[in-house]
Formats: sequence, structure tokens, C-alpha cells
Amino acid sequence: MEGLSAYSLIAEPEELRALTQLASRLEGRSFLHVNSTFTGGGVAEILNRLVALFRDLGIEARWEVMKGDQSFFDVTKKIHNALQGQEAKITTQMWEIHREANEANAKRISLDADLVFIHDPQPSAFVLHRKYGLWIWRCHVDVSHPYLPVWQELESYVSRHDGAIFSGAKFAQSLSIPQFVVPPSIDPLSEKNKDLSDQEICQELEAHQINQDKPILLQVSRFDRFKDPVGVTHAYRMVKKYHDCQLILAGGTATDDPEGEEVLARVGEAAEGDPDIHVLLLPPFSDRTINALQRSATVVLQKSTKEGFGLTVAEALWKGKPVIGGAVGGISLQIHHGVTGFLVHSIEGAAYRIRQLLHNPELGKKMGQMGREHVRRNFLITRQARDYLALWIALEHRGERVIAV
Amino acid sequence: MQEEDLGSKQPFKFFECMNLLQPTGRQAQDLPQLLSLIGEAEPGVIFHHTHQYYLKAAIEIPEYTNDFAVWAAESLEERALAEKLASLDLYGCEDVEEVRNALIRIIKTYLRENPAPRAARNGDAFFFNDAVTIIMEAGPMAGNLPEFIEALRTVGASSIYFHFFEARMRLHGPADDFSVWLNQSLGREDLAQRIQRLDPYHYSLEGLRQQILSVL
Repeated sequence: MEGLSAYSLIAEPEELRALTQLASRLEGRSFLHVNSTFTGGGVAEILNRLVALFRDLGIEARWEVMKGDQSFFDVTKKIHNALQGQEAKITTQMWEIHREANEANAKRISLDADLVFIHDPQPSAFVLHRKYGLWIWRCHVDVSHPYLPVWQELESYVSRHDGAIFSGAKFAQSLSIPQFVVPPSIDPLSEKNKDLSDQEICQELEAHQINQDKPILLQVSRFDRFKDPVGVTHAYRMVKKYHDCQLILAGGTATDDPEGEEVLARVGEAAEGDPDIHVLLLPPFSDRTINALQRSATVVLQKSTKEGFGLTVAEALWKGKPVIGGAVGGISLQIHHGVTGFLVHSIEGAAYRIRQLLHNPELGKKMGQMGREHVRRNFLITRQARDYLALWIALEHRGERVIAV
Repeated sequence: MQEEDLGSKQPFKFFECMNLLQPTGRQAQDLPQLLSLIGEAEPGVIFHHTHQYYLKAAIEIPEYTNDFAVWAAESLEERALAEKLASLDLYGCEDVEEVRNALIRIIKTYLRENPAPRAARNGDAFFFNDAVTIIMEAGPMAGNLPEFIEALRTVGASSIYFHFFEARMRLHGPADDFSVWLNQSLGREDLAQRIQRLDPYHYSLEGLRQQILSVL
């Protein structure tokens, strides 16, 4: 991976100065991340890049992935859905499966580190085996309205950490430990976000039998019911009456998401019979393909009904595309309504805004420019790395409101 | 940082700063709840939602000048209230308690004189946050006016916030770090007065940087 200097032409110089100064205070210290998947979803993607960046800055960063069998991931998917508000019955036996998997993994993985980040509910019980250092629970899920019986059970683990991080203020809970907001980010130099030539874009599209003879509506996301891919097909059909366009639904399934295949089957049914709907089940490491799809799109959608953050929004904005997103979770942090795209509350709203953008390409172009600048200032990996290191220092100065570094 | 660090006859040292947002877990769904929670909030929370508004890396010049005004306009759609909240002269207030009392006064008057506003939609509540501020040296120091101008061109936008906005609360008055140093260290009272007359409420940080540079 490129070092910090590679970002000097992209990120704010002030951000890079801060990152360097903070890292110099923490040089040689150890920083462990634990999550539950190497591939699929934004968490794994950004961890891969963040850990490399921290190492480049002299911090002994490490990333470990916990293992689990099907029964474990069935339980954690239920927990995940419950945190996003879905009623779920998680029995004592299920919590025991969760705890036992955490215990087995905690014995296998070295937990020796000055700072430990536990990502999401899957490894939340690792904290029962903490040795030393600061422990942070990093939540990437939209927990604004959790199903309370499940949240309360999980909270017994969360509250044993030294702090919690949420992606947005609206996800914060009443907790006995300090809470922080750190939005996630994209890496502008990664395979998924770096510049591509027109020829490279065409090659990728041809490989998936897609041509650019019609405007492209695109949603890139895991096949997950909360991303509402079926709703997107309905919106597309409403638009199709007025505009000859095509719809691409592209995504994979994460290894920790057992519901993906079921949702994919429903999408297939909704798309049946229309050659202008392309459903692409992409394998892991399809970053270049996603990059090309986003760059070829006329309008990008992220019509989620629940969303932790929705990094695909930042990815599309970075590529200068207007984005229509569900007014939920972290999407509303990225889409400034009417400025970088549109926030919608319904399938009809999505269809209306798509038509508006197809009618007015100049509006889409302007929104795309504003969106790219918005991402550059707020959602690049260098900002997230800076925030994590600042948080580390803040926790070591607990109780101080102003800290001079 | 102490006041004497910046006001004595020494080179001007530029600082940059960043905020780490700390949610309190408290939220208001409607105006009476907002009023109640403003009354109970820690001083740092009031400071964050008013004075630190400018530290956000916005892509547009904000229409309103603090988080309470933005929420009144966008989530309650009470634009008349937003205008009154945005017109609050933060830097005419002696301290955060005076800001808090002024906010309470404006909201109470509005509730008394107008029909009760509707509640915000789900997800659009006002979320009360606090913040930890981390201050770092920006690098350049200035011993004379040309060095000061050159440094002002290159420091980050947060440095403008820290020395222009945050300084007013630190120094308890209309002065800012820039004008204090120009007056006390360079004897340029004329420049200091012109900088102090800049309207602090209607520029982005980059816009303000350009205004100060044009004064110098």
C-alpha cells in the first residue's frame, strides 16, 4: 500500500499534519482490531487499508478475524437484525453459542495490545478475556432503535469496554462508558476508488455484458433485505415508463450473512423478464468491477431502510455521481438533500428523484462535484485514521475537554 | 493554552485543532423537550452546538449559525424561530451560561407567541453532543507582518476557527488572537480594529481567511 505521502495531493494538508503528529505520540504502541470477516462489507474493506496505514505511521497495528460455524453466524445475524430494530427471539442457548465461540477465539488470538478495537456484536464477548490496555467497542450498525431485549443483553458486554464508537450521533445509546462518533471512510487510492480510464471502464462492463447505450441506474450493496434491492426494482419500473434506462443491482454476500442467498432469490424474481435489469452476484475482491460500474452510472442509489453508514454512498459521491439514498442511518450524513443528492422515504420518492436527475443531467453533474468535495473533506481514510488516534489520546487523558498534543 | 501565550510580544504561534464528537445519548423530539434539555445540558454541550458549529467541514456557507437554528429550520420547519436563534450574538455573551439563558429566552418567547410546532420526524431528533478538542501546533511562527500573512495563507481552516472564534470565548470579549497580537506585538491597532469589525457569522472559515488577508 502507498504511504501517507500518497494522499498529499488528495486529503487536506491539515488532516495529514494532525495524523502525523498524533502518530508520533503513539509510535511503537500496539493496536489490535478484531472482527468476524475478512471479506464482504465495508468494515473488512477499510480495516485492510487502515491497518496498513497505521503500520506505515509506526504503530504496531494488527487485524484478527474470529472464526465461527453456521450456528454462530445464524445467531449473530439475528443479533445484527435486532440491533437494527427487528424483533428477534434470542434464547439463552443462542447467547451461549455466541459466548462459547468468543471464548474459543479469544484463546486462539493473542489479545496483547495497548488498544483493542472490537468491531460489532460478533466478537463483543472477547472483553471477558481482556488482559490489559484500552478496549473499545466499535459499532458499525444502525442501533438508533434497537430491539431492547437483545440490546440490553449485548450491553452487558459493551459496558465492560473503556469506550464505544458509533458511526453517527443518532446511533448513540445511554451508556455508562464514554461514547464517541467516528464516521467510517473510503480509501481514494484503493482498487475500488482509484481513477480508471474510459478504456478500463469499458473492459469491465463488457466482461459483464453491459453496454452504455442507456442511462445506468446502479445500486451496489450486499443482498440484504435492509438494502431494499426489491424496492429498487419497483422504483426502476416506475421510471421506465418515462425513460429508457437500465438497472444494475450488484453485490456479494458476506461470509457472516446467512440470509444473503434468500434475498438474492427474491431479487431474481423481481427482475425476471426484463433484460434491462442486470443482477450481478460479484465474488469477493471485485473492487475494480464495482469501481467501473460506479463510474459508468448516471444515478447511484442506496435505498436502504436501515443502514449503519452505507459506504457505497461515499464511493459514488467520490466518483462525482449524484446519489439517491434512503433517509436513514449514516446515509443522511453523506447526502445533503438537494446538494449532493436526494434523501428519499419511499419507493415512489426514489422513482421521482431518479426521473428528476435523468431529466436534468446538469443538476446531477453539479451534485456530483459537490459530493466529491464533501467526501474529500469528511470521509477519507486519513480522517478516520486521525480520529482513531485522537480518540486513543483522549482516552489516555480522560476527563480533559481540551488536550494539547 | 493561557491568554499570555498569545498576547505577549512574542512570535505568533499558529495552532490547529480538531474535535472528537461525544454523544450524550440525550435527544429532543420537539421544542419543549429541546428547551428542557438546553436547561439541563453541560456547558460544553451548549458550547459545542453554538460556537463549534463553524468547525464542521461544510461544503456550503451555512444558512444558519448554530445547530439549534439549523434544527428549528430543517427538522421542525419553524423558520421564524430559526431566524431568531441564528441572530443570537454569541460573542456578545459573556460566557456559555449567558448563551444558554438567551437560547431559553428565545424559545420560551416563541412558544408563547406561536402555535405549538409539530414534533420532528423519526430520526430527525436533536441529538445533544459534547466534544473533546485536541490542539496541535500548525508549524509556522510569525515574527512580523509578512511572515504572519504567509503563515495565514497556509495553516488549516481549523486554525482560523481556533484563533478567531474560539479565542473570543477564551479572551472573554470581542477580540481574537489575531487582532490582539497585531495590536500588542506589532502596534498595528488599525489592522486589529478592522479585523475585529469582521462579521463572524457570515463566512465559511475559508471565506474568513480571505477577508482577514484582504485586511492585511
